[in-house]
Parts: sequence; structure tokens; C-alpha cells
Amino acid sequence: MTGRRVIPLRWPAVVAVSVVGLVGLVAFTWPFFVTGDFARDHGNDAPWLFAVLLGLLAVVCLAEVTAGRLDAKTIAVLGVAAAAGGGLRLLSAGTAGLEPMFFVVIVAGRVLGPGVGFVSGALAVTTGALLTGGVGPWLPFQMICAGGIGLGAGLLPVRAGGRAERWVLAAYALVTGLAFGLFMNLWFWPFLGTNAPSGMGFVPGAPLSENLAHYGLFYLATSLGWDLPRGVLNAVLVLLAGPALLRVFRRGARRAAFGVPVVFDAPGSDLSTPASLTPAEPRR
Amino acid sequence: MTRPRHKARLQHPAAWWLWGLGLATAASRTTNPVLLLLVIGVCVLVVSERRDPATVNPLPAFLVIGAVVVAFRVVMTALLGNGIVGDTVVLTLPRVPLPDWAAAVRIGGTVTLESLLYAAYDALRLAAVLACLGAANALASPRRLLRYLPATLYDVGTAVVVGLTFAPQLLTDARDVRAARTLRGRDGRGLREMARLTVPVLETAFERSLGLAASMESRGYGRAVRSTTTSRRAATGLALAGLVGVLAGLYGLLDSSAGGVLGLPVLVLGAVLAGSSLLVGASRDHRSGHRRERWTWTETVTVLVGAVPAAVLVVASAQGWDGVVPSQQAQLPAVPLLAVLAVLVAATPAFFTPRPREVAP
Repeated sequence: MTGRRVIPLRWPAVVAVSVVGLVGLVAFTWPFFVTGDFARDHGNDAPWLFAVLLGLLAVVCLAEVTAGRLDAKTIAVLGVAAAAGGGLRLLSAGTAGLEPMFFVVIVAGRVLGPGVGFVSGALAVTTGALLTGGVGPWLPFQMICAGGIGLGAGLLPVRAGGRAERWVLAAYALVTGLAFGLFMNLWFWPFLGTNAPSGMGFVPGAPLSENLAHYGLFYLATSLGWDLPRGVLNAVLVLLAGPALLRVFRRGARRAAFGVPVVFDAPGSDLSTPASLTPAEPRR
Repeated sequence: MTRPRHKARLQHPAAWWLWGLGLATAASRTTNPVLLLLVIGVCVLVVSERRDPATVNPLPAFLVIGAVVVAFRVVMTALLGNGIVGDTVVLTLPRVPLPDWAAAVRIGGTVTLESLLYAAYDALRLAAVLACLGAANALASPRRLLRYLPATLYDVGTAVVVGLTFAPQLLTDARDVRAARTLRGRDGRGLREMARLTVPVLETAFERSLGLAASMESRGYGRAVRSTTTSRRAATGLALAGLVGVLAGLYGLLDSSAGGVLGLPVLVLGAVLAGSSLLVGASRDHRSGHRRERWTWTETVTVLVGAVPAAVLVVASAQGWDGVVPSQQAQLPAVPLLAVLAVLVAATPAFFTPRPREVAP
């Protein structure tokens, strides 16, 4: 672990993130395990229901993770991550979803810990949507996915600053680039119903294996062409700019003096006192 | 209804968003192309009359995406077919032979009018929903909604505002750095160059952002939100209880053997609990606001006329009115008159709402 948790994840936040992750998983994968009757009756409503539900839960989760623990500097760092994500989204708006945004989220999560990773992922997507005027039912799903990517980057078991970190992060960027598309298609795939290309559509009540096979074909035919370039682009960017960017973020985190104990601690105050006095960056 | 000297102002953003969501709900309930085109027309009309002049109009982009969706779906259906069986053959494409494991997939073959119409109607529905969202984005920039975040999310909202302010500056910085590199004889293209840009650009961003943080701290940032340990604990408790309720409700809803009747109430209860945690966690000091937005009768009526088509079409689709989900025959679908009137009512905000302020070009 990095030992630099800008937003420490306490147990309520961990529980909240886990439950929201679970609900998110259900929101994406429900077509595979519901009964045929349910799918026929509610196939058209369920994506909207889940969009509203996930929007609410993502907001609750953000509130839980950040509850009372954001000082001005943390906000500044989160703002930079959100701005970088949003700015890259603006740049990539014309390039058919080749979103280099994730590599900033991955680096932020890696340097600043899973808590910031989650928040900055969700905020980067939100900022991008607000900038491009692209607020819609897909936003909650994207927030959960991008937040999860940042969170996972913070939890990767690699030593900070090591040689392996670069390659592990690049591999992570490739995998998450593919997985993002794999999950994000699922929110509208049941919508297509019989309208999907034959043999690739959602069949209500069909066995799991059949729907999985159909979805696999659908993914190969429509989505992989976008997801693979996105994953590769992010991985290459991490390889090229990763080490430098990690240093920039670590330097920023050190200048924001995260982890310096607060001296004038009033009794009953919940400002946690970190154990170590060492500056945030071990090297240099 | 129209007063001659109506003061020019922007309507409350929440009113426009509720209006857009109402219209989107209506559009999502029908596949009748006449109704859907009418919805798109209403969006275009209202946006052209009352859009927020301060931002770039996002509606054309949404309309283009909608058109691309329709075209893409029709072409894909022609190439790959869909689950609709019809007998009006439009044309026959050469069929590509595929191996056994992909037997369910077909490429080429006969293209029927019924399957094409079904694809087009369904895609048009998505395009109409997109148009409604684009209209809401154009009428009231969603960033104006950030002001109404509950106090618990005040910090997060501030981070988003910082991000929104810095993102365009980041792009300017990137352009400057690139210009500087071009002057030194690099062509500034390619991935490696793009990667090189990130370091100076992000360094500047951190510099600026930490400066902002320092000034925020020196001005006593954070005083605006009051939260006590008790209120935060209460919020955490509510949030966790709500999340567990949502999870249990979903389980009940999706797994019908485990009491499907209880699923929805438990889900709603959980969602309400989780939502209330946002309100309990912290309270905001009463502040005087700059350009406080008002809620007058025009806002109320805007929301109501947005809810009319939603209500009519939800009832129509539940009762199965003729023409709400038309058959895919090669004929004009029946058009339910009441639904048409309901959609037309939603166009009235183009006339009775206050005009937005003119900005100097």
C-alpha cells in the first residue's frame, strides 16, 4: 500500500462503496439472471429504474466517502483531476469514444489512494458531461464504472515508485479500457431486445449460457472495435507519460502537505492524525 | 398571459430539467414515429425560442447523434437482420457463409420492410429521448443545477466547480506548451508528444489549484457548512440502512421466488432513506446569493406542461391505446389524437416563459 491516503476510507465508506458496487453489478448484469416474465414485463423500464437508482446511490456514496473530510487542498487536487478528465473528454469528443481520460483517473487513484481514486473518477466523468452538455441516463453508469477504475488503481498491489508499477498500471489501463466497454454496453443492450442483430440480442428467459453467448457476439461485433483502441491508447499513454505523471501527482500531493499532523487538535475533533511524519514522496 | 413588459431573465434550471425529463418519459413510452418526430419538433422549437444564450447550443450535437443512431441501426439491421419476421422483401443481399458455432448469426440475406421499420421506429425513440435531454442541456446548462446540491455534497460540488473552471484553462495551457514546442522545432504530433505535454500542463494546473486552495483557506472556506459528529453519524446510519434496503429490495424484485411483492416497497424505502441521508448530514448557513434564481408561476406551469405528455403516454401505453406501439406494416400508423395534443401542450413554454437575457455578441 502506498501509505498516503488523502481521503482515508473508514468502515462506513467501505461498506457504502461495496454495496453500491454490488448494486452497480446488478444494474449491469440483471439481464443474465432474471426470469423471463420479469424481463418481458419490465425490460423497458429496468434501465431507467437503474439509472435513477444508481444516480442516487453514486451521490450518496460520494457523500459518505467525502463526509466532512475534504479540506481546501484536497478539493484543489480533486479539482485538478476532474479538470484533466473533463478537458481530455472535451478533446476526445470528436474521436468516437477514444477517451484518454482514464489514464488521469488511474494515476490519481494510484498516487492518492482508493478513496480519491473513486471520487476523482466519478467527478472526472461528471465534469466531462457538464462541459460537453452530455448529461443523460448513461451518466450514473459511467460514474460508477470510472469510480471503480480509480478505486481499483488505488488498490493495486504494487510498490510505489518501483519499476514494475509502470507496467502494471499499463496492463491495468488496457484491461479496464476493455472492461469499461463490456459493462457500459450492458446498460442498453436489453433495450435492443429483438431489435438487436439476430443471434446477438437479449432473449428474455433464455438460459444464462445462451444470453452470454449472444452478448459475447454483440460485444465482438459492435463494441470491441472502439474498446480495444481505447484500452491500447490508455495503456500506451500510461507507459509513455505514467512515470512523469506519477511524479507530478506525488509532488502535488506533497506540496499540499497531506499527512502532516494537525497540531492544534481540539478534543472531539475528527481530524485523523496520521502516523508518519515522512513527506508524501519517498524518492528525491 | 403574455405581459408586454416581461422582465428578461433565465428560468429556473430545475424547471427546464423537469420539463425535459417529463417529455423524455413520454417519448420513452411510444414508438409511434409521428409522435416521436413531434417530440423532437417541440424540443427544437422551445430551444430555438428560449435557450440559454451564454453557452454553446448542445442540441444540434444531440440531434446528430440521434440521426447517427437511426442510420446505424437501420444499416446494421439490413446487414445482420433482427428478430422480426416479415414478408415484404425489400432487397436480397448476398449471404456470407459462417461456421457452425456462429449459426445463429447471419450476415446478408433477405431484408424485409418490417424489420427495417421496427429498427427505425425503435431507434427513433432513442433519438427522441436524446433530443429531450439535449433540449434540457440547452435550455438550462446543467452546471447551474450544481447550486442546488445538498449541503452534504458542498465539498464535492466545489471540486466539480474547480474542475469546470480549470478544464478550459488546461486546454489553453496545452495549446501554449505545444506552440512553445513547435517553436523549438518539434512538430507536436503523435502520442509521445502528447505524453510530453501532460507534465508541464498538469504542473501548471497543480500550481494554480494549490494557489486557489491557499486563498480559499485564508478566506475561511468551509465555514458555510455546519456538520456535527452526531448529524454525520445519523447520516451514515441512514445511508447504510438505505443501501441495505435498496439491495434487499432489488433482490426481492429480481428473484420473484423471494417475495416479489415486497421488492418494490423495500426498494423505494431504501432509496428514500439513502436520499434523506444527504439532507441530514450537514446544514448550510443561510447565505445571501448572487443572482438568486426565482421560482414563479412560469416555472410551475413549465413543469406541469412537461408532466402532461408523460402522464398521457404512460396511461396510453399501460392501456394499450391504438397507435402508441404501432405495428410494422408499410402504412402510416394510427395517431392517437389525445397523445398528439398532450405533446403539443409541452411546446407552450416557448411562448409564455420569460425571454432569456440578450448577451452582446
